[in-house]
Amino acid sequence: MAGINKVAVIGAGVMGAGIAAHVANAGIPVVLLDIVPKDGANRDAIAEGAVARMLKADPAPFMSKAAARLVTTGNTEDHLDLLAECDWIVEAVIERLDIKQALYARIDAVRKKGSVVSSNTSTIPLENLVAGLPDSFAADFCITHFFNPPRYMRLLEVVGGAKTRADALEVVSDFADRSLGKSVVRCKDRPGFIANRLGVYWLQAAVVEAIDAGLAIEDADSIIGKPMGIPKTGIFGLIDLVGLDLMPHVIGSMSQSLPANDPFHAITRPAPVVERMIAEGFTGRKGKGGFYRVNREKNKAKEAIDLGSGEYRAQRRADVPAIKAAGRSLTKLFDHDSAHGRYAWAVMGRTLAYACALVGDAADQVESIDEAMRLGYNWKFGPFELIDQVGTDWFAAKLAASGWAVPEILKIAAGKTFYRVDNGTRQVLGQDGQYHDMVRPDGVIMLADIKLKSQPVLKNGSAALWDIGDGVACFEFTSKMNALDPDIMDLLGKSIRRVKKDFKALVIYNEGSNFSVGANLGLALFAANIAAWTEIEAMVANGQATYRALKYAPFPVVAAPSGMALGGGCEILLHADAIQAHAETYAGLVEVGVGLIPGWGGCKEMLARWQSLGKLPKGPMPAIGKVFEMISTAQVAKSAAEAQEALILRPGDGVTMNRYRLLADAKAKALSLVDGYQPPAEPSFVLPGATAKVALDMAVAGFQRMGKATPHDGVVSGALAGIVSGGDTDVTETLDEDALLDLERQAFMSLVRHPDTLARVEHMLMTGKPLRN
Amino acid sequence: MASYKAPLRDMRFVLYELMGGDELSQLPGYEEFTRDLIDPVLEEAAKVCEQVLHPLNRSGDEEGCTLENGVVRTPKGFVEAYKTFREGGWTSIACDPAYGGQGLPKAVNTLVEEMICSANLSFGMYPGLTHGAYVSLHGFGSDSLKDAYLPKMVDGTWSGTMCLTEPHCGTDLGLLRTKAVPQGDGSYKITGTKIFISAGEHDLTENIVHLVLARLPDAPAGVKGISLFLVPKFLPDSAGNPGERNGVSCGAIEHKMGIKASATCVMNFDDATGWLIGSAHKGMQAMFAMMNTERLSVGIQGLGLAEASYQGSVAYARERLQGRSLSGVKHPDKPADPIIVHPDVRRMLLTQRAYVEGCRALGAWAAKSLDVKNHHPDARVRQDADDFVQLITPVIKALMTDLGFESTNLGMQVLGGHGFIREHGMEQYVRDCRISQIYEGTNGIQALDLVGRKMPAHAGRLLRSFFHPVQAYIEAHMEDAVMGEFVQPLAKAFVRLQQATGQIARTGMAKPDEAGAAASDYLRLFGLTALAYLWARMAQQSLDQVDGEDGAFYRAKIGTARFYMERLLPQTGALFSAIMAGGKSMMDFAEDAF
Repeated sequence: MAGINKVAVIGAGVMGAGIAAHVANAGIPVVLLDIVPKDGANRDAIAEGAVARMLKADPAPFMSKAAARLVTTGNTEDHLDLLAECDWIVEAVIERLDIKQALYARIDAVRKKGSVVSSNTSTIPLENLVAGLPDSFAADFCITHFFNPPRYMRLLEVVGGAKTRADALEVVSDFADRSLGKSVVRCKDRPGFIANRLGVYWLQAAVVEAIDAGLAIEDADSIIGKPMGIPKTGIFGLIDLVGLDLMPHVIGSMSQSLPANDPFHAITRPAPVVERMIAEGFTGRKGKGGFYRVNREKNKAKEAIDLGSGEYRAQRRADVPAIKAAGRSLTKLFDHDSAHGRYAWAVMGRTLAYACALVGDAADQVESIDEAMRLGYNWKFGPFELIDQVGTDWFAAKLAASGWAVPEILKIAAGKTFYRVDNGTRQVLGQDGQYHDMVRPDGVIMLADIKLKSQPVLKNGSAALWDIGDGVACFEFTSKMNALDPDIMDLLGKSIRRVKKDFKALVIYNEGSNFSVGANLGLALFAANIAAWTEIEAMVANGQATYRALKYAPFPVVAAPSGMALGGGCEILLHADAIQAHAETYAGLVEVGVGLIPGWGGCKEMLARWQSLGKLPKGPMPAIGKVFEMISTAQVAKSAAEAQEALILRPGDGVTMNRYRLLADAKAKALSLVDGYQPPAEPSFVLPGATAKVALDMAVAGFQRMGKATPHDGVVSGALAGIVSGGDTDVTETLDEDALLDLERQAFMSLVRHPDTLARVEHMLMTGKPLRN
Repeated sequence: MASYKAPLRDMRFVLYELMGGDELSQLPGYEEFTRDLIDPVLEEAAKVCEQVLHPLNRSGDEEGCTLENGVVRTPKGFVEAYKTFREGGWTSIACDPAYGGQGLPKAVNTLVEEMICSANLSFGMYPGLTHGAYVSLHGFGSDSLKDAYLPKMVDGTWSGTMCLTEPHCGTDLGLLRTKAVPQGDGSYKITGTKIFISAGEHDLTENIVHLVLARLPDAPAGVKGISLFLVPKFLPDSAGNPGERNGVSCGAIEHKMGIKASATCVMNFDDATGWLIGSAHKGMQAMFAMMNTERLSVGIQGLGLAEASYQGSVAYARERLQGRSLSGVKHPDKPADPIIVHPDVRRMLLTQRAYVEGCRALGAWAAKSLDVKNHHPDARVRQDADDFVQLITPVIKALMTDLGFESTNLGMQVLGGHGFIREHGMEQYVRDCRISQIYEGTNGIQALDLVGRKMPAHAGRLLRSFFHPVQAYIEAHMEDAVMGEFVQPLAKAFVRLQQATGQIARTGMAKPDEAGAAASDYLRLFGLTALAYLWARMAQQSLDQVDGEDGAFYRAKIGTARFYMERLLPQTGALFSAIMAGGKSMMDFAEDAF
């Protein structure tokens, strides 16, 4: 089966451009075409403008500036022949059947044989799209439905038609999985596929029920939110994000195409208050405001719509006693005898029942529906996981008591749960009433699965060591937010000794949303507040010694971050033999934000990397300057690609696009290093000492004069300059690692006693934001 | 007969030498408060306390207050003494000059408070309560209320009370029921019963201004629905003089263990007219402003009584001839040696002395911090000072009253049977001191405040205001050959305190009962360590003056410091062990087995 080596995206709107950018993120050349604008000399203006806009956007669609260079822009009049080189052509033009079909005919004329064509439509059935086109086209055609923004939303819905070749689906799915990092959910050719069919139903039900019950939208959002693991934007906050005007569009299209007996029609009744908002331009964040707004005329007051009057009023804190009364119990919330409890049930009872109704219609497997809602709407639990939480029988009984139909799949599940663990294997209930093993695709290893099957090799309150097979051990942080604390250091030390004895290699990896946000600041601040300086110095020294032991351990160590790897969480990466990073890795030495410097070898390791690998002019100063700039400005690489540019990742380190494949890739990397493994040679440093420090101090003083650096920035940068310049040394001397570690430790200890540093730490802990003192 | 002599020498030592009292006059607004002005104030206060208040202490205790037809009479001589006190300007020394006060620094005022408490605590309750009410009204009242009431409260012609407690609610004010109904003209009608109201009714002033916690009709449940009202005994007439009698009356006075000359009243409010102080439902805020200054003052009560008791026990131990010294006759000219030759008597006397002088220094530290907090030009210095005051307030209240009770009890013990009978006045100090451990938040509540609120606030920032200076002091003097004997024990206690703090912070988060179980021992460990720090500094201050003209004073200081370090501070070891053992033995004990 031929792979996908070049891609084309037609339609450079938000979705098309975002898809093209993400293909480029995977290192694949991509052609991005749009129509020729009616006016203007530049016939490629639309596609070019889209790329330019994306380079400035935040969150960034591109993982690096370099990726943008993989995008070739053009127009559909002059450059359609470029499609001849492409293995996959994605259509993302306006949702009009006639336009799409006309385009398909033109594509079919130029595309190479066996290439796959897909549409990013969210509303038009596949059978309509290919109607009238040759079978050879239909065989190569499918729907690939991305979610916005394509770089960050991990769900991809793939729909094949009756005539679609199985291997066409396979090649696109495989590419989406491995190269684009998507979780592919196969859907049937039904309106809205899975996520939007259920998601839009859910949103609409929540809106009309809130209007009927006369609820405050803040209360509604707090009910249909955290208690069920739904993001805190809730309902109205989410609609503000996607746009109020989009809703009637999608709802209209779905009600037209769904059969008359579909429960969808029950919630499509009009909502005049919302219609009026749309008519007046209050379409959400992109418009004049949505259900929530910041009123610039009223001193940026936060306001919310009153659903009854349709007027804005001051936003207020949600006040829902039912949530407190229910505790963590969803059944208690659904049963709570209050308008809020009844609302929770009216919305979620309906939505979960509709999810049940989709089994066999939109998808055959409940786990597909769960995955679609987790990844498409960021629900923490899929609908069937939520039903398991309340119990299938309780749920069926409550539906019956509410006078609603009990869906077929619930009858099949009577007395059972949808998911269970059998002998350490996760299983899911099928439509046949039998449990089936949930098999991960080839090349996927999840620590969560290993944890179901085995006991940790070592464990304490903040970390664990697991046997992941083939002689490889996995060190997992388990502390809150994966913050690094003395327990982690302690177990890491023990793990190094254990791996040496019983394993061939070590992977440092976890399945938290962030690899590690750094040292536990609360602990450190408390220790500083009670002047426990010896204890703090011991924490620094212990971290240095542990990371050093990790670096020189007699076995290969691979760190596999995903999400944030900041401060001490970045420093541990720097001490591994290799890094296998998830593409969405955000790494940096950010200690100066809290008035400190990297004290666990981070300064030293970055200096060693830039000295040996940086393509810089000769002499020690360029590397020093580079490292000083990175650390003193708390630079964070916002992707694995940017981390490569920052030399946090070295040549030879790997990037994994799919989060699910990270552990397997890291394990493979570790095993590849086992044969003939030699610990790295200790780096040495020839540094200029005082002369370099003076130069760096002058630069900082310049920033201070320009008002770009605060007084305490000067203090912290001065301490950093003292480390990276080598302290009291000069170029005739060679410093070893210990000398630099001593400098780090001394600088750390002097800063941690500084009241301005403590004020920064306190501010960060209290507000989550840096203090610019 | 007990006698009292104000310890002016030691007060000057604490104020000028230890706390650098001259710095007070460098704070903006305090320029005039130099030593030339402060010394005479202290001397005059000493005179009033020694000559006017102290002679009424025992007679006031014997006679107590009486209630007849709703009228409370204070003991004989109190009315005249109050007139002298008021005319001497003593009710106004710590008040805002804008309302006729003298604006004296808190550091000075605290010393005067101590003298009053030593001389006659019951008497001190009347102006003391007025001052508490003054603080709330001054901080939160409207201008018109302040203009109408503050000048008369400041000059002492009117007195004040704080009406919090009700029959069914003491510590848990969220339960209170007294009602306030708005009348539409800005006034409210207050109805309810308050108990344990000190100075609720008496014959010392022409009017009494009650500050009353009550609920408005629309108030949320709990402490977030409590408002503070001003309810005068007599409604002021158009000239501002006491006019029509308000619907407030004294239903009974309590019969109690101590402070018998202080009228502790049951107050009935029956459609009494009042006015809101501060915002609706925000009464706790105004009440806590008062409560925090009162908690410091109650700590000073413990100190004052301990000082008075120490004076009595030393005098007796010098005079009482009984038996001979264990190591041979010391006074062959006398039929027996005075009991002061005995180690155990010395143990008791030095314990009293070390606690008294240590607590005086601690009180002065807090008081000076209040002055810095209110007057220093640098915001960060002000915040540090405020942090320290917040942190140390529960320690001062509980430690100084606990040590006050222990000290008065030791003082009584020194006199043996003569301490137990009334004649020498020693048992009265014990009885009078006992309430200080209870009111204004029991000492158990203080300990919970320390570990539950003060310790975790701002991720431990309040702790910094104490731990950082002490650690810096230890680092600076640890290697000093002469100071070593004082700083090393301090360092040992300090490490215990650090470790206990870390332990409580770690376990208390997950298991609140563990923090609760450790709280009282922790507060004592904290307090004893704070006293050790101050004793080390007092020794340091004294070392190079032992040969000067006042050498005896400084030698005694060093000797007391040595006794504190060697004989009292080791308690921290036991406290540390108890804290680290955790609360399991208490909480696992079956409730019905009690």
